[in-house]
Amino acid sequence: MSTQKSAQAYHNNRVGPVMRAGDLAQAVIEAAKIDNPDKEIFVDDKRAYIRIHAEHEMILRQATIEEELGRPFRMNDLEVDLSSFAGQIESHDDSVRFYFTTKV
Amino acid sequence: MALLNRMEWYNLARTTNWTPTYVTEDELFPPSLSGDFDLPLTAWEVYDEPYKQTYPEYVKVQREKDAGAYSVKAALERSRIFENADPGWKSVMKAHYGAIARGEYAAASAEARMMRFSKAPGMRNMSTLGCMDEIRHGQMQLYFPHEHVSKDRQMDWAFKAYDTNEWAMIAARHFFDDIMMTRDAISVSIMLTFSFETGFTNMQFLGLAADAAEAGDHTFANLISSIQTDESRHAQIGGPALKILIANGKKAEAQKRVDIALWGAWKLFSVLTGPIMDYYTPLEHRKQSFKEFMEEWIVAQFERALTDMGLDLPWYWDIFLQELNDTHHGMHLGSYFWRPTVWWNPAAGVTPEERAWLEEKYPGWNETWGECWDVFIDNVVDGNMEKTYPETLPYVCNMCQLPILGVPGKKWNVKDYPLDYNGRLYHFGSEVDRWCFQQDPERYAGHMSIVDRFLAGMIQPMNLEGALKYMNIAPGECGDDAHNYAWAETYRALRETRKAANA
Repeated sequence: MSTQKSAQAYHNNRVGPVMRAGDLAQAVIEAAKIDNPDKEIFVDDKRAYIRIHAEHEMILRQATIEEELGRPFRMNDLEVDLSSFAGQIESHDDSVRFYFTTKV
Repeated sequence: MALLNRMEWYNLARTTNWTPTYVTEDELFPPSLSGDFDLPLTAWEVYDEPYKQTYPEYVKVQREKDAGAYSVKAALERSRIFENADPGWKSVMKAHYGAIARGEYAAASAEARMMRFSKAPGMRNMSTLGCMDEIRHGQMQLYFPHEHVSKDRQMDWAFKAYDTNEWAMIAARHFFDDIMMTRDAISVSIMLTFSFETGFTNMQFLGLAADAAEAGDHTFANLISSIQTDESRHAQIGGPALKILIANGKKAEAQKRVDIALWGAWKLFSVLTGPIMDYYTPLEHRKQSFKEFMEEWIVAQFERALTDMGLDLPWYWDIFLQELNDTHHGMHLGSYFWRPTVWWNPAAGVTPEERAWLEEKYPGWNETWGECWDVFIDNVVDGNMEKTYPETLPYVCNMCQLPILGVPGKKWNVKDYPLDYNGRLYHFGSEVDRWCFQQDPERYAGHMSIVDRFLAGMIQPMNLEGALKYMNIAPGECGDDAHNYAWAETYRALRETRKAANA
């Protein structure tokens, strides 16, 4: 019973960052909504960290985060509060992409 | 001066393989250190790290992280968080620092092996940064607890634990030596960075940070979650190596390494992180149960990513899921009962309210683990304290080095998994531990568990005093109940009430 519940946790396709709480995390939440307009953004706030996820793929753009943050931001600055992430990652100069290649 | 964008020069800058002419390829990259997967140098040159970072970016970002962590520490230094913390929470910190801090230096050494010996230029690049990450983690996790050493002698174990033969440290060293100190560069990338760091470090550095934030220990929460931002980058070192192995028909070898590392990590976390989360952390500050954190970080996040890379769930998946309900309760019962042999003061965590929480999170807790605690509680209430301490040793597993245990009470399933190898009888705590051993028996066969050492007469005198001496536990460092049994008063009062009602 409870083992089945554990097994079910595996059956998910959610990807995206797990951020340390702070202004960058808030900017990322807003950017996730703007940069992934067709997707529902799931936010799970655990106080010390915040899961920001979408189904199967999420793109975050440097320009959007900078706009939301209101101060200069380079894509690599995301790492300051990027504690973990779900899915695979692909990093570019002006964006970062979280994704799965398979669906379960 | 205008700077080029990173991606305009990154690929060129990390193309650092060349054709050796003065030495052979095997002399430049000895197979035992580089990873002998019968793949030519060119196969590794397609390695493409998904999480890219350059050295200038690294310095800037790390400086910002350090400024954050150290300024929070400085700001809260006078807030007397440690002095005012629940004794159970202090034990969380002691167990964490002792088991982890010095291991970070071992991880730096493992990263350095990838940095020098990996045939993949991108891996060498990322593990250069990873090595510096691990040195940072070691330094911070020795510096932060140091301020508490003068207040509490057990805090000294942050530095000391790794050099001792304390039983939990033997288990921790056995595991870390296996996945990072005695493996080639490619295996390290799979077993340490992929299996351990994309998976289990999240439990200890983010799951526990959530509890720390609830407990008001923002210095600790901020420190460990900051560490995990390094992990999330350098944990990505293993992924591309896995993909290369799979693409070159080496999936089985990759899978085996992941399965061994994952199991070892699980067992270690069942004794370290499980009791911390479900028993030591004060009830009102528990964000989730250990099992819920495991479901979140390991089942939903890590295993899902693992299969997305092209690997399979481990063959022991069902056993693992079942153990999420059980193993850490046994590890807690054991480490609490043998509490003089640990460097922290375990919190029993079995008040009526806590038991109700355990029953809710783990249905059946009361009729299994609870039955053992009933006996223990009666002994404390009756004043039979001598019965609450051990007189013998538990039998420990020759793979994970932790007590062999099963579920007690109404679901009794305690079982030994023996193996005769070259005339020596080995004992294992599970089918999976025995399987890990059998994958490479010569790697493990010569190791003596703490019980093997005891039976061989290496621990003298053969009693608790001799054991404590062997484990380097000095007087004043021995563990005892975190709350000095104050929680038993509730049960004493309950008994009085019952007696009065029956009178």
